[in-house]
Amino acid sequence: MRNVRRAAALAAIALAAAFAAGPARAASEGVKLDDIGTNATDLASLQSGARTFVNFCLNCHSASLMRYSALREIGLTDEQIKDNLLFTAEKIGLPMAIAMAPRDAKEWFGATPPDLSVIARSRGPSWLYTYLRSFYRDPTMITGWNNLVYPNVGMPHVLWRLQGERIAREDEAVKDGRPIMGEDGKPLMVVKLEPLTPGTQSTIEYDKTVYDLVNFLAWMGEPHQMARKRVGIWVLIGLAVLIFLSYFLKRAYWKDVH
Amino acid sequence: MSTSSQATLPHGAAGDDEVDQGRRNLLVATCVAGGAATAAAAWPFLASMEPSERARALGAPVEADISNLEAGAMMVVEWQGKPVWVVRRTPAMLDTLKKDEAQLADPLSKRSSQPEYCQNIWRAREEKKDILVTVGICTHLGCSPTAKFAPGDPGMGSGWEGGFLCPCHGSRFDLSARVFANFPAPDNLPIPRYKYLSEQRILIGDDKA
Amino acid sequence: MANGTTSKNVWARDLFEWIDARFPLSALWKSQVAEYYAPKNFNFWYYFGSLALVVLVLQIVTGIFLTMNYKPDALLAFASVEYIMREVSWGWLIRYLHSTGASFFFICVYLHMFRALLYGSYRKPRELTWLMGVAIFLCLMAEAFFGYLLPWGQMSFWGAQVIVNLFAAIPFVGESLAIWIRGDYVVGDATLNRFFAFHVIAVPLVLLGIVVAHLMALHETGSNNPDGVEIKKHLDPRTGHPVDGIPFHPYYTVKDLFGAMVFLFVFAIIAFFLPEFGGYFLEHNNFIPADPLKTPPHIAPVWYFTPYYSVLRATTDDLKWVIAIAAVLFMVWAFLRRGGNAVRMTLLGAGAVVLVALYLLEAKVWGVILMGASVLIFAFMPWLDRSPVKSIRYKGWMYKLALAIFVISFLVLGYLGMQTPTNTLTRIAQVGTILYFAFFLLMPWYTSIDKTGTPPERVT
Repeated sequence: MRNVRRAAALAAIALAAAFAAGPARAASEGVKLDDIGTNATDLASLQSGARTFVNFCLNCHSASLMRYSALREIGLTDEQIKDNLLFTAEKIGLPMAIAMAPRDAKEWFGATPPDLSVIARSRGPSWLYTYLRSFYRDPTMITGWNNLVYPNVGMPHVLWRLQGERIAREDEAVKDGRPIMGEDGKPLMVVKLEPLTPGTQSTIEYDKTVYDLVNFLAWMGEPHQMARKRVGIWVLIGLAVLIFLSYFLKRAYWKDVH
Repeated sequence: MSTSSQATLPHGAAGDDEVDQGRRNLLVATCVAGGAATAAAAWPFLASMEPSERARALGAPVEADISNLEAGAMMVVEWQGKPVWVVRRTPAMLDTLKKDEAQLADPLSKRSSQPEYCQNIWRAREEKKDILVTVGICTHLGCSPTAKFAPGDPGMGSGWEGGFLCPCHGSRFDLSARVFANFPAPDNLPIPRYKYLSEQRILIGDDKA
Repeated sequence: MANGTTSKNVWARDLFEWIDARFPLSALWKSQVAEYYAPKNFNFWYYFGSLALVVLVLQIVTGIFLTMNYKPDALLAFASVEYIMREVSWGWLIRYLHSTGASFFFICVYLHMFRALLYGSYRKPRELTWLMGVAIFLCLMAEAFFGYLLPWGQMSFWGAQVIVNLFAAIPFVGESLAIWIRGDYVVGDATLNRFFAFHVIAVPLVLLGIVVAHLMALHETGSNNPDGVEIKKHLDPRTGHPVDGIPFHPYYTVKDLFGAMVFLFVFAIIAFFLPEFGGYFLEHNNFIPADPLKTPPHIAPVWYFTPYYSVLRATTDDLKWVIAIAAVLFMVWAFLRRGGNAVRMTLLGAGAVVLVALYLLEAKVWGVILMGASVLIFAFMPWLDRSPVKSIRYKGWMYKLALAIFVISFLVLGYLGMQTPTNTLTRIAQVGTILYFAFFLLMPWYTSIDKTGTPPERVT
């Protein structure tokens, strides 16, 4: 009956709204993540990110589900790939293996650095973007580095020369110029990062470098995403035509039924 | 098929002289559109069975280094999962190529598979006609023949000038991998595309300049 | 020429007759489709049976093509799925269709079951069709459970680990049973391989068999309809067909075709533009390869299992008291009710068994029992519903209220099943669990006293 149908439709919409937020990704203890959107059509960004990835990440991380030859899809020629990016394999058709042995990695860093092929699908671009910009100097850590988003992480700040060094300082949380009070009546403390020594890139430049890298990681997580959307449009158009035809066909038959 | 006898449902079945033309047109249009949609939907599934990126990467061209290949010797290189023979033929071996032409099934390699630049009696590139590059899989049912280079090899019978013998059903090939007539194998062994990267390095599987 | 053949097509007619003399081709066509008279007043809720069939076919076809490239080996599985996504031509499409199809299968089946709750489709004489439907639902849950291990991600692994450990909760035999199911002491390669066998061939075969039986049982009794009126009561004297019936073909074939097109449109939006659906259809944590040494901080089953998972987690010692009170009240009612002593003794005995089990078994085991009961209780619907009318259209306010509360509880339990439990949330889940079971357990009472309307003689 119509009322039930209306109720069901409302319930469906309410459900969809409630679930729109999605379940928690591997959350990081309340640190606010900087939301970024990725753009798989920005080939320049993807290429820049690929270069950063190969130069800085492949030393310790593998991307073993990704072949070097797949980089053709972000507008690079075989020559460019071979000359600039083919670091951990001899042939362009081979996967992006790790530069060092996983055994050594585990010994040196405590945990095997994870494969990054689909890291953007598990952690999400916002997490990666915030993480790579939240390292700070910490003498108590073996690597000398710690991270606000992933406390006590085993990874050093690989990009430190670009960003420069920063230290963490606890300070009062402030809103509209006044400190925010906690439940115990004392001001809420928040950790802030302050520059220690400069890097070769300014904050804006570094943010762009990290954005390009995260953009590349997001693309690498699902290289066929643009094809998926392109094909999807055609499928929807085709189905719209079929809906139209089948609706009128149904009506043509059912006009006899009373 | 059934004829409807419900008074309320004259749905154009047999026995009803009036055909609902509008409905028929819609039916045809829907069937045509549906057929096209089904074909479009089937296509990706069938295409997915083509060799994948990995198969194509593994099937990529392979380099062979012939600097240590002695005259009269053969080396085997794996390409696309198949054995590729590289033979450095001696002048004596090359001389035998004209002698047995009467016994060959396809001496001018008209039927067999080779690149244009290998359609000659050496079945090799003109600038290096002593080097034979061929896929060592018998054109009968796929066994890999054995090298029988010694002329007058007792197991091969009199008049044998040298070549290959397939152990499975006895097909014979000469030193240009051309098949002898009256044996099960129909064609000469295939020659893959190849090019010289240098005097001693061959790239098998690719001949683009 | 007779019946639509021209002189050109006689061969077709001859071939047809050759087959028909040896195989009940035309008999099947007539009885199941062309002369199967279905009520003419099917509405929106009646699409979901055929849509479930569409999804079944889709899952089988995409499943076959996935099996061509998937490797059921703990060391290779995760990479083989990414291989399909990246390196097999159109592999990404086949994968997304299969993952989206899994979720849409449950959407269709839940809505299909809801139709039955609305219109009393489980009532006599269709009890067997309903029971077969419950069996299909159980098979579907098993199929989804086995299939979910296959990508070998973190959620796959730990979800399987947790659920198999539920079997370990069974007293005495639990531990051995869990090891036997896994084929190992923990979920591992042996488990993966056998779950692959179950998912790819064993359960689909059983599922297909029960689906065929489900349709045969339905066709034997004829379909119900939104008014709950039996259309076979009024037959046209000339033809013998129900006056309110129309042949399934062409009317419902053409209507279901339209329904399928709309459904596929919605399906395509998800599969092509939102395949992860916010992490509900493809979970984020499942993009991390399985690590037996590290549990993710937040395990939840896939969305379609969360209501039952909620019931499992809500069953704490507190809830055991509620069950105890309910059992005592039940025994009081059994003692006081009119009726023979044999029945009274049986009912009292049942209540006593429950009380003893509450004493002996810990809350963990009761959680498993209640979770299982929350699914199996659907089977009892035909005997719990004592209303004189079938369809909600003619039932009183009590049933309508009860159904609304049930739906809300189901959705709330589902939502809670995805959250990390807290004290407050557990309380809410417990209330939800009580309301969920109350819908079924109190039904004999409220459907008897509910003031119903009069259903019409003919469909509306």
